[in-house]
Amino acid sequence: MTTDSTFVTKDVASVFARQTLLDRDLVRQPDRPVVRLLPWLNVVTLGGRSIIDRGADTIKPVVDELRAAMSEHRMLILTGPGIRARHVLGVGLDLGLPTGVLAALMATEAEQNGHLIAALLAEEGVSYLAHGTVALQLAVHLSASPAAVSNGFPPYGIYEFPPTVGKIPPHRTDAGAFLLADAYGAARTVYVKDVDGVYTSDPATGDGELLPRVGAAELLARNIETLPVDSIVLELMATAKHVKEIQIVNGLTRGNISKALAGEHVGTIIHSD
Amino acid sequence: MEDVQTAGALQSLLMSRSLSDPELLAASGTAPDYAILPDVSVLKIGGQSVIDRGRAAVYPIVEELVEAKRSHPILIGTGAGTRARHAYAIATELGLPTGVLTDVGAAVSGQNAAMLGYLMARHGVPVVGDAAFGAIPLYVAECGAAIFAGMPPYDMWQHVPAEGVIPPYRTDAGCFLVAEVYGARQMIYVKDEDGLYTANPKTDKSAKFIPEITVDELIDLDLPDLVVERPVLELMRSARHIKSVQVINGLRPGLISRALRGERVGTIISAL
Repeated sequence: MTTDSTFVTKDVASVFARQTLLDRDLVRQPDRPVVRLLPWLNVVTLGGRSIIDRGADTIKPVVDELRAAMSEHRMLILTGPGIRARHVLGVGLDLGLPTGVLAALMATEAEQNGHLIAALLAEEGVSYLAHGTVALQLAVHLSASPAAVSNGFPPYGIYEFPPTVGKIPPHRTDAGAFLLADAYGAARTVYVKDVDGVYTSDPATGDGELLPRVGAAELLARNIETLPVDSIVLELMATAKHVKEIQIVNGLTRGNISKALAGEHVGTIIHSD
Repeated sequence: MEDVQTAGALQSLLMSRSLSDPELLAASGTAPDYAILPDVSVLKIGGQSVIDRGRAAVYPIVEELVEAKRSHPILIGTGAGTRARHAYAIATELGLPTGVLTDVGAAVSGQNAAMLGYLMARHGVPVVGDAAFGAIPLYVAECGAAIFAGMPPYDMWQHVPAEGVIPPYRTDAGCFLVAEVYGARQMIYVKDEDGLYTANPKTDKSAKFIPEITVDELIDLDLPDLVVERPVLELMRSARHIKSVQVINGLRPGLISRALRGERVGTIISAL
C-alpha cells in the first residue's frame, strides 16, 4: 500500500522517471551502441610481483620499451602493488580488519609503484594521475603527453565487495585495469607479466602447454590453478561493452610490449567468446 | 586445514601463493572479523522515494532522525532519485558508458546529502565526503550522526550490466557496503513502501506484501521488479557482518525509531 496521496512528487520527466531502475524490461536498451570514448587508448598494466618487485634489472628495460613505444602509441600505464600489498594484507587480516579496509591499504601500494614508474618517465612528460584525474581528465593528459601512469587498483576502497570466499579484496589491479579500459573503449588491453601467457597448468612445474588464444568462458571452465591474470577479469569480460580481447605478454622478454602494441600476437590473447 | 589456521601459516601462504589460490582464500576467511563501529546503525534515505517529495516527507523524517540519534548512533546515506534518472536517460540515449553514468548519479546523491545536511546542521550533524570518512567516529561520538552520499565511488570502474548501461551498484549497494565495512549494528532502507512486495505496488495493485524473506528465496522468486538493488542480495550472501537488512516506509511516522530499536516494521531480507 502506498501513501502517495498525501505527498506531492516532484519529478523530472524522463523515460526512467518513477522507475525503480530494477525492472529488467524497462532498463533494457539492447540496440543502442555504447560510444568508445578514447578509441585510440592502450591500457598497459605492469604486474606488481611479476615486474616491479623484480627491481631495476627488470623495470629499466620495460620502461625503456614503454618510452620507445610512446612515439607511436598513446598509453595509460597502470601498476600493480606487489609484495608490499601482501604484507599489509597479512597485517590487516591478522588485526581482523574488513575487506574494504584491506582494499584501501593494498591500493596504496599499487599507487606507490605508479609513482616509481611515472618518475622514470617524467622527462618525457609522463605524470602520475590520481583516480579522479583518470576518470575526468585523461583525455587532456594524453593529448599533452602520449602516456600517463596511474594506479591499477580501482577506487573501490572501503566499498570493495566482500568476496564469496575469505576476505581478500576481489577487485585488484587486473580487474581495475579491465573495467577502466572497457569504460573508455580502449583499443588494446595488455597485461605485462613474467610468464609467456596462459599455460594449461602452472608453468613453474614445467609440463604446462602455452595457450596462444583462448576464450574467457573456456578458461574459467578449465579451472586452471595458476592463471597470470585474476579470474574475476574473465567473468567481467562476459558483460564488457568494448574490450573483447586482452593480451598477456612476458615483460621479461624484450620487444614483447612493442609487439603487442603493434597488434602482433605474442603471449596469450583471451577473448570473450 | 588445521595447519593453515594459524596466523603464521596464513602469512606464509600470502607471501607465496597467487591471491586467487583457493587454499589462501579459505585461510583468509579464518582471520577474525573486527567490527569497527558495532553500535552504529546505517540508514539509507531514498532519493526518489523520500527526498524528491520535498518537505512534506523530509521534515518529519529529519525530526525523527534528530530524536533517534539521541539513543542510536546513525550514519545516514542518501539516494539519488529523479534527477539521476533524467541524467541516466540522456546519457543512455547518447550511448555513454556505465562509468560516466555512475559519476553523474553520484553527484545527485551528493546533492541530496548536502540538502539533508543543511536541514540537520543546527543539530550538529555534518555531511562527510569520501576523504573525510576517517572523522566519522568523532562525529558519531559527538553528535550521534553523520550524513554521506550513498553512491559508491566506482566511477569509471563501475561494473557493466549485462543489458543496458545503468550502473548496477548504486546507492542501496553503497550504503550496504558502508554498513558492512564498519561492522554496523544494522542496515535500514527508508523508502516509500511498507517493504517488499511480489511486484511493484505502485504499478501493480495485486502486489502482495512480503514481511520476511531470505536472499535465496528472493533470488529464486526472480521478481520482475524489486525494492532494493539486486546486487545487494549477492553482497549480503558474502557479507561477514550485515546478514540482514530491513526495508521500511519512512512516510509513516515512528517507523524509523522502531526499526532502530530492532523491531520489524517493514520487510526483513536475510542471508542467514
